[in-house]
Amino acid sequence: MIILQLLINGLIAGAIYALVASGLALIYSVCKFVHFAHGVTIAFSAYFLYFLFSNLGLNFGFSVVLSIIFASLFGYGINFFVYKQLRKRKASSATLLIASFALLIFFESLILILFGADVKTIGFIKIAKGLEFFGAIITPLQIFIVLTSFVLFGLLFFFMKKTKIGKAMRAVADNKEVAEIVGISSEKIYSWAFIIGSVIAGIAGILVGLEQNLEPMMGTNLMIKGFTGVIIGGIGSVPGAILGSFLLGFAENFGIWFLPSGYKDAIAFVILFIFLLFRPQGILGSRKRI
Amino acid sequence: MEGYLIHLLILIGIYLILAISLQLAVGFAGLLNFGHIAFFCIGAYTSSLFALNGFPFWLCFLSSGIIAGLFGFLLSVPVNKLKGDYLALATMGFSFVIYAIALNWTSLTRGPLGLPGIPKPSLFGISFSNNFSFLILTAIIALISCLIVKKITTSPFGKVLEAIRDDELATRVLGKNTFKIKTYTLGISAFFAGIAGSLYAHYITFIDPSSFTLLQLIPVLCIVIIGGLASLKGTILATIILVLLPEPLRFIGFPSSIVGPARQMIYALVLLLILLYKPKGFYGKIELE
Repeated sequence: MIILQLLINGLIAGAIYALVASGLALIYSVCKFVHFAHGVTIAFSAYFLYFLFSNLGLNFGFSVVLSIIFASLFGYGINFFVYKQLRKRKASSATLLIASFALLIFFESLILILFGADVKTIGFIKIAKGLEFFGAIITPLQIFIVLTSFVLFGLLFFFMKKTKIGKAMRAVADNKEVAEIVGISSEKIYSWAFIIGSVIAGIAGILVGLEQNLEPMMGTNLMIKGFTGVIIGGIGSVPGAILGSFLLGFAENFGIWFLPSGYKDAIAFVILFIFLLFRPQGILGSRKRI
Repeated sequence: MEGYLIHLLILIGIYLILAISLQLAVGFAGLLNFGHIAFFCIGAYTSSLFALNGFPFWLCFLSSGIIAGLFGFLLSVPVNKLKGDYLALATMGFSFVIYAIALNWTSLTRGPLGLPGIPKPSLFGISFSNNFSFLILTAIIALISCLIVKKITTSPFGKVLEAIRDDELATRVLGKNTFKIKTYTLGISAFFAGIAGSLYAHYITFIDPSSFTLLQLIPVLCIVIIGGLASLKGTILATIILVLLPEPLRFIGFPSSIVGPARQMIYALVLLLILLYKPKGFYGKIELE
């Protein structure tokens, strides 16, 4: 059943993109600029896990926890040392975008120097025989990825709706000035957005690292896909970003039914383009600014 | 040593054309174009494919500019309404699509294998096969490009461009067709990127898609911002400095697998530092909106 297999592949790709996109959308909705370096947070967390587990031989669970902590510190550090300084002098969102692009290239090159250009595998999970559903194959790890992503989205939703910081985040995202009037420190909330977004990125990095191989440029690619998901779903809306990412995952996997698989990446951009042109606010977004 | 110096000067010439054309779009018209490398790529492939099919250099050269310009023209129609970061992302998407085509349309571009054996140019019976003569050709073309861009930016058209950058709505109120003007600008900008691509292809004599990734945008963008937006003088100065800046790495004796990424790191770092501490660059009149 080719359709079922494509559906499953789309679901897995969508889950990974959605993990990237949700963190990105969270940061965008609160801080109002595109945090490109999110891609490198993902790559760093995967490489950090590789370093701890495969190079140093630490316990796997311990390595995973350390990698996630590392990712969140990394995101926090970027915000503190670069974006915060830029905001202090009222830099425009285009300036922040270029800065984040520079950060992405900087750290990707650093990974290239530290770990080399060759593809790395973490090798924790032995190649397992996939389970069969009506002729379509899915591996236990892939099921785990999809489940983890759903659990994380649930937690994120709960966090945004119920906790004090989550509510404050939504307040800042909605109207920074009013939020500040009622006593919410926007800088503090920005930091939180980066920490939480980067934790999700860290988890995404680990899952991608286990499912695929590690390569220095993996972050850029994921980042672009995640961002396309964000645009499709509606920029600034986390549920929209998740929805958009799954749509993208399906579109890509059904697209290569008709096109050579090399064009898989191009499909994302064509969709990105179409949405930017005809519905820049995305599926769920509100039309505030273009 | 002399050969090395000539090589650097040729690179400066090619980067100058590339940077000054991006400056026209970003600095003067305020169009944050992240897809500039795509035009460079289109120019390089057009020129190479024509040359490999036996067409004379002048035709390859001109068609590389015209076809790249045409793509700029076409791209500007859909992205005309977009601004700032949205425009950056849409143009970046365009650049990825062009890259994917260069990589996958193997019957035309030979995909990842690239196009080897691109002939060195010859014009009016003069062959530019040695590097010194190629340098003179590059210098002349770079000079002409700079003069044309200077002419454009100081003309009434250039003033309208700057007006669009500063306040598009007000410019429209004054009766200017901003849509058309932005379209022309992106077309002209792409034209120059295309001829830079042609020069690059005929100089290196080999191109493959890996020369046209997003990574290549960093040095060019860096030049534009460090030189200062809407400043041609700054762009020229920044081109010279930035092409020379990572060169000492070569002499420290790092292996080439480190030199490449280290170059990118230097560019990225310089770009960050400029944004943080000297956001207007050397001679910039304005900051990025």
